[in-house]
Amino acid sequence: MENKNYIIELKNVSKIFEDETIAVDNFSFYVRKGEFVTFLGPSGCGKSTTLRMIAGFDFPSKGEILLNNKDISNLPPNKRPINMVFQRYALFPHLDVYDNIAFGLKLKRIPVPLKDENGNPILKLDKNKIKELKREISLTKKNKHLSSEEKETKLNELEEALKVAKENEVQAYKYKKLSVREIDEKVARALKIVDLEALEDRDISTLSGGQQQRVAIARAIVNEPEILLLDEPLGALDLKMRKDMQLELKEMHTKLGITFIYVTHDQEEALTMSDTIVVMKDGVIQQIGKPKDIYDEPKNAFVADFIGESNIYNATMIKEKKVRFLDYNFPCVDEFQVNEKVDVVVRPEDILIKNKGEGMINGVIQSKIFKGVNYQYIVLVGKNEVMVKTTKEYNEKEEVGLEIEPESIHIMKKDFTTNIYTDAWINKENEVMIDEKPFKCNILQLVEGGKFVDGEIVDKKNKKYDFNDADVVAEVALDKIEIIDDIESEDALIVGEIVDSVYKGDHYQYIIRTDSEEDFVCVSNYSYNLFDKVGINIKPEDIKLRLKKEVNNYEI
Amino acid sequence: MVKKIFGYSYLYLILLLSYIPILVLIVFSFTNATYIGEWNGFSFKLYADLFQSEEIIIALGNTVIIAIISALVSTLLGSLGAIGAFYSKKRNRAILESLNQIPVVNAEIVMALSLVVMFVAVGSYVFHEQIFSFWTLLFGHVVISAPFVYLNVKPRLQQMDPSLYEAALDLGCSPRKALNRVLIPQLMPGIMSGFVLAITLSLDDFIVTAFTRGPGLLSGENNIETLSTLVQAKIKKGPIPPELRALTTIIFLVVLIAVILITIYNNKHKKVNKKRRTY
Repeated sequence: MENKNYIIELKNVSKIFEDETIAVDNFSFYVRKGEFVTFLGPSGCGKSTTLRMIAGFDFPSKGEILLNNKDISNLPPNKRPINMVFQRYALFPHLDVYDNIAFGLKLKRIPVPLKDENGNPILKLDKNKIKELKREISLTKKNKHLSSEEKETKLNELEEALKVAKENEVQAYKYKKLSVREIDEKVARALKIVDLEALEDRDISTLSGGQQQRVAIARAIVNEPEILLLDEPLGALDLKMRKDMQLELKEMHTKLGITFIYVTHDQEEALTMSDTIVVMKDGVIQQIGKPKDIYDEPKNAFVADFIGESNIYNATMIKEKKVRFLDYNFPCVDEFQVNEKVDVVVRPEDILIKNKGEGMINGVIQSKIFKGVNYQYIVLVGKNEVMVKTTKEYNEKEEVGLEIEPESIHIMKKDFTTNIYTDAWINKENEVMIDEKPFKCNILQLVEGGKFVDGEIVDKKNKKYDFNDADVVAEVALDKIEIIDDIESEDALIVGEIVDSVYKGDHYQYIIRTDSEEDFVCVSNYSYNLFDKVGINIKPEDIKLRLKKEVNNYEI
Repeated sequence: MVKKIFGYSYLYLILLLSYIPILVLIVFSFTNATYIGEWNGFSFKLYADLFQSEEIIIALGNTVIIAIISALVSTLLGSLGAIGAFYSKKRNRAILESLNQIPVVNAEIVMALSLVVMFVAVGSYVFHEQIFSFWTLLFGHVVISAPFVYLNVKPRLQQMDPSLYEAALDLGCSPRKALNRVLIPQLMPGIMSGFVLAITLSLDDFIVTAFTRGPGLLSGENNIETLSTLVQAKIKKGPIPPELRALTTIIFLVVLIAVILITIYNNKHKKVNKKRRTY
């Protein structure tokens, strides 16, 4: 009861769907009253499912959702003081603008305490509560994801509450509708907030996308919810409109003082609007923090790669506050154990271009793209690419020096749960190139319901895709990489050197570094020595892929 | 050009073929000859006779009562079935959908025979007496028209934004209110066309009617006579009763007017500007 200013709190919430897929895994976090929180992640990361559980469209398989410290995990959506703005607006086409906005108000019932002639409160059994508890008991009994002990404690609690409700009479209420005048006034106010005053009699079908968006927002905020949920509400608008709406939403949030929970896969949107960002992947929270903290201090390679553009390198701490990557020992500010393998993130705008020889490292400009505000260069340093953004103009093929200030180098603990290769790409033969070696992965996993038709990739809506040259992020679990002793054998797809080995009680964890400085982390029961040359083999079906750009960029 | 001429001539040929018989019928409803093809001079006698023929009026009454009741029941079942299936799990929906297809493509005679067998079996094993009555007839009509209502409602559901239902819940509707206030208004055009189709299917049904009817309705102790069974009974004995020419003319005109009205109603984009109160 100590956290009074948490409006909503999720405690160890998991959602397991009927086909046993885990959409949300042990999700715990809270939102303070009046905060603007964004769930950010690639599609399928569980952000929408989390939102739907807060709205009440899905119920958690495990864990609790507390609203103002009261458990609402199994409360139906119409009993929650929470409203939602849907992805495709979900306006009611048979009603005009006014009736759409007034829809919730017309359903609203205000409780008025019942009193007898003498002004004493009338007491009755709380039938609603009894019904609610009975519903919850039957839901709990059917929930197959709870262990029998968890189920028993929960059932006992509920039975106890039911007994109390059945025995005690409480203040009875009668329920009053809002008057026509009250509804009118509230609708007028909501229309004013979203700037649609003149349109109340218009049919939904005659409105533009942006106007429909505003109606959808008005329809939700007119009910004065405690929390407003927004499920990628700007996804269907064009870029200019989206930027305007972002600012307007932010302004609305400040003005209304309602808690906003926003879901998006657009990192820029998240950075612009939120007080707090929750980065999610595969149903698991990766990082929670303020936009600036997440941008400057990403917790792992996934967050760094997802939020903004970044250069991510494998590095080693060689001395205190000295880190080695790109074949250079950079001074840095983060403190890690000496000799620890780490990930390093450097934002492209934090790298300074100098004349050749004047920087810390030298490289050749490989490509140059004009981005409006600045130029984006890819500089080849040894075998590594460095992305740099600057307003100054340089020529392609020019040799330059690069300098990185200690404050700009962000060092992260290596995430050893999976191997992530952020610069994999797909070649013409639909093979995935990891460390410049082709892997025949199932690239159909990149599109929903994908299949091959006449050699072309087609999704379930019959859209065709061409992934030639597409940049992808490839992921391989540690235990899916097999170490091959004989580096001459055909199974040894990639050859490297063991640079790190840790004994983990019953198995070893190795880091194998290839000639091009790509690291593969794997586990094995056998012992190898440091600097042993070994081959590794990855089964193509064990490689999980994710596109760097939106899938519709590859539509043909 | 040639393609166009062929196209149009084909179109007009079809129209001609379907409308000439009706025109002939209308013309011959204004003469009192017993045999078709004779012209005894213009008269309204058939129309006068029509309203005096108790047989025909009873059959007409029966037909209309059955059509309306069976259409109402099958619209209710078909629409709810479509909504239920749409919000069910994929597998259940697929099963329901294919089950729904069978009565649509099945020969009506198979349907009728199986209904008779079922009614006889239920009658002898459960009720220990004949159960053929208005209820069996109604059952038969509902069975043939409900799948068509389902097929009319389904496309409306597919066009609909699937989150409308959730939006209604979110704004405070109980599941039933969400159905009444959002889903049903959304599906109304599909439900209406399903209803009209169910009426027409029932109006001119002969096979299932002949097999499943029993005594009742306006026919009293006798087997229920509908227009189709009446005509069938008459032509078995002799010429088609001349009053029926007048009756079919009236039916045709009623349907024509109904279709015209529906078209006008649909085309006119009615936007009643509600007067809002200003304070």
